Formats: sequence, C-alpha cells, structure tokens
Amino acid sequence: MLGFGGEREAVSKVGLTAADLVAARLREPAALTRIYTAYAPALFRFFMASVSDRHLAEDLTGSTFVSAIEGLPKFRGPVEALGGWLFQIARHDLYDHRRKQSRSRIEPLDDNLTEAAASDGTVDPEELAIARLEGGRVLRALQELSPDQREVLLLRMAGGMTAPEVAAILGKTTNAVKALQHRGLASLARVLGLRSLRETQERPYPSPDPGRLTSQEEEEER
Amino acid sequence: MHRPKPNKLHDELDALLDGRPVELTDELAPLVEAADVLRIELAGYQLDPGVADRHLQRILEGSGTVVQLPVRQPAGAWDVRRRVVAVALAAALVLAPATIASAAALPGQAMYPFKLAIEQVRIASVQWSPTREAGERTRVAGKRLDEVESLVRLRMFSQLPNALKALEQAVVAAQVAVAEAAEDGAPVATVASRLTQVRADGGRVVEEVRKAAASGSINLTGGTRDAVQAAVEDAQQDVLPPPGRETVPTAGTPTPTTPDNPPNPPVNPTPAPTPPSTAAPPPPTTTPPPPTTTPPPTPPPTTEPPTSAPPETAEGQPNGGEQTGAADGRDAVDEVPPTTVTAP
Repeated sequence: MLGFGGEREAVSKVGLTAADLVAARLREPAALTRIYTAYAPALFRFFMASVSDRHLAEDLTGSTFVSAIEGLPKFRGPVEALGGWLFQIARHDLYDHRRKQSRSRIEPLDDNLTEAAASDGTVDPEELAIARLEGGRVLRALQELSPDQREVLLLRMAGGMTAPEVAAILGKTTNAVKALQHRGLASLARVLGLRSLRETQERPYPSPDPGRLTSQEEEEER
Repeated sequence: MHRPKPNKLHDELDALLDGRPVELTDELAPLVEAADVLRIELAGYQLDPGVADRHLQRILEGSGTVVQLPVRQPAGAWDVRRRVVAVALAAALVLAPATIASAAALPGQAMYPFKLAIEQVRIASVQWSPTREAGERTRVAGKRLDEVESLVRLRMFSQLPNALKALEQAVVAAQVAVAEAAEDGAPVATVASRLTQVRADGGRVVEEVRKAAASGSINLTGGTRDAVQAAVEDAQQDVLPPPGRETVPTAGTPTPTTPDNPPNPPVNPTPAPTPPSTAAPPPPTTTPPPPTTTPPPTPPPTTEPPTSAPPETAEGQPNGGEQTGAADGRDAVDEVPPTTVTAP
C-alpha cells in the first residue's frame, strides 16, 4: 500500500490509499472490501460499547457502511479523513437509533440470556457468563460517565481516533477533547477502583462509593 | 507540592494514550490503566465473520435499505423542460414588471439601478454585432440625455451632476462603439447620425443647464451649483460642446488623426451649422438645434466607409476643422447621412 519509491502516496492509518478511495467511489468491490475490512471492527466496537447489544451493534455497523458507501461520492476529503467521516455517520445512526428507541420503548430480553441461547453449546456457558460479567463491569462503569466523556473515550479507544480527529468529529476543540478525555478516564478509574500509588498508600483500604455500582472492592467481595 | 497545569496534564495523558514517550507520573498511572482496561474490554468485541460477510454482500450489491442518504434522482427530459419553463415564467413575472417600472426611473430613484442593470444586459446581449452594440450604446446615450432633461424639468437639481457625468460617459461609450464598428467595416451610418443628433441635443441641453446655473434662474445650493458647473464644464470640454463653440476652433486646422486613435474625442461631430449661429450662441430653449437641420455645404458621400474620408476633402469645406475630426472614424460616420437626420 505504501509507495515508498519516489513520492509517498497518502495512506490512512489503516493502510488505505487515495486510489482505494477513488475506486470505492466507483463502487469497485475490492476497494469497498478493503474499506469495510479496515473500519468495520472499530465501528462494531464503538456500537457495541454504546448499545451493549451485539445484534444491534452488528445491524448498526452494517447500516452505517451502507449509508457511507451510498454517500461516498459526496465525500471530498482525503483518505486520512475517511475514518472520521465514517464515525460521524456512525454517530448519526446511533442518535437515530436512540431517537426511535425512545419513541417505542421496549424492554429487551436480558442480553446474557439471549447470547447464551444463541451460543448453541459451542461456548462454555460458564466462561461466557464470566466474560459477560467482567465486560458488563467495564461497560457499566462507562455508563457512569457523562455522554460527552463517554463519546470521547469510545472514539479514542474503540475508533482509534486521535484527539484532533475526535475534535473534528464532535465539533469541539482539541483541548476540550483532551480535557473530556482526562476527566472521563479519571471517573472511569475511580469507578473501577483504580488508584494511584500515592492514594493507595494514603488510604490502603479505599472506601467504596455507595453511589457507584461497580467498584473494584465490590467485585472482589462478590 | 508542585502540581502541573491541567492543560499539561491533558497533553501528557493524551501523549501516553497515543504511545508517545512521556513520563508516566503517579497521577496519570491510574488513568492510563483505566484506558488499558477499556481498550482490552473493547478489543474483546469481535465482529462475527459471518456477519461481516453479510454486510459485505449487502454493500457490494448496493441493496442497503436501512439508511439511505438523500440522493437526488437524475431529472428526465420532461422534468428539465418543466423546470426551464418554471424558471422562465418566474423570471418573466419578476422581470417584466420591474423592467416596465424602471423604464422611467431617474437618477436617485429606487428603480434606477435596475434600469442600469437592464441596459447593461441589453448591451451585453448585442455585443456579438458591432453595429448593434453601437446602436444600443447610442440609445443608452439618448436615455441619459432624456434623464438630464427630465431632472431639469422636475427640478431635481441635486441629481444633475451625476446625470451629466452619466450622459458624458454614455456618449463617449457610444462614440467608441461607433468608431470600432466603423473600423470593422460595419454599416453604422444610421447609428452615427443618431449619435450626432444625441450629441447636438446634449450640447444644447448642457449649455442650457450651464446658463441657468450661472444666472441663478434655478434654485441651487452652493454645493450643488459647484457640482453642476463642474460637471457641465467637463461635459462641454470633452464630449458635448455648446452649439456655439463647436465650429470655432476647427477652421483651417485639420488634425490628421488616424483611425487608430479612437480615444481622442471627436473635435466636433455635428455637421455644418448655420453661419449666423457661429458668432452668437443660440437662444436657450426656443431655437431648434441648428446643426442637424442644415445640410452640409457639400453633400458627403453616403456610401463611403467612414475611415476612407481623406483629410484633404475636409480642408476645402468652410468648416474644415470639423471635418478633420472625421478621420477619427466615429466622426467620419457622423457626416455620412444627412438625409437620415430628422429635425426636432
């Protein structure tokens, strides 16, 4: 992908070239596949952490790509900006989904039960339950953050975007994104019970915050 | 204890998250750890290959139905025609009344800029033909002259300076257009005679304005009077000489101008005036403009191209200086058709 001979061709972080972008605009299958392969995992992680529902996250990932491919001829930016553009579409799709969900409020089945039923015995139910428990702990901790903090962390950690890229997606300044990121991680660390060495020395037995559902101590006690 | 500034902490944390080399302080360590926990958690979410295949299939087939961006459908021929008709109708509904309403607009009135814009459009639309462009510019010069007369009649003296300048510019533009058309060999005799008429009338009107401003017969404030007098002087000096002055400086002084110097304003485009009027200026309003009513002493060749008028033929005429301006091309055509000039 990299053109190291002579001029260096513009290459995105995920190894896409400008030629891939041009070909994808023309709906060339190989280029579309490369773009999907490059960004689908990150988009799926973003949706998964946002909606905590695998099937819904899969659907949202697919629909985001369909929208993006349909609108790709209108995308005028360089290939390096393609990721940010895709995540903008993903955010819009997520907001659309939440808006529709808020109109027709239906309580879903418990995710654990759904996934266990769908696993059809190929996965050890015990391992699945433990994994879900641990995963649920982090995701629930994520829900403790403000929407802005959560979105910044997801775009940074799930999407692999840099702070300036996140700033461009959210329409904020880079400094604001860095501040949100800092506060979000501080809150996450607090909820997860991660403390600095100094804090640990000062308070060897940190008192759990009763308002927080998932502190490290609670999990251990459980 | 010294604590780094928040912005610095934000930057350091951001650098650590990006993997850039920054010292991991005790303060940032739990945050980085939380980020690692989150990353590990998120990395566990893997897209099922079967689902990815289904997505790819949907994308490659272009059969996505979940979310469609608004894509404009290509318009058919019937749609295009309907749109063209609609646009034309809307333009007609807007432009026709505006054109009619602005036709009588005077400088300083709300519709006057619209009138000027329409004139520019008309000029631009005939620029493919030098003759038509000359005719259009001559018509515009006539309009400017009408405006000056209307302003005087309506006693809108504050707009007179601008109107006089506009008249002067319009006449110059018309002269240039006529000269260029003549150089191109286009038939401009009729247009040239119309322009001659406009210039003669313009000279008369400007002279009337000058006299009225000087005598105080029109009520002008100090600033307006100065501006009017300055505009009158400019106009009379260059383009619109008063009827009495137009024959004086030309006698026996032929200037052998060539068709290549059109920027020089014509010395005197009007044909031979009546002999008594050369000494005394004409009365202000009652006397019809003499230059156009009297044919020249020697009828010029009507079929000759303007640029072919030789200087020596002008020398033999009583007002030879006037004829020498004919070598300029635009003045040559001024003298061409005495029969087409109609007396006011």
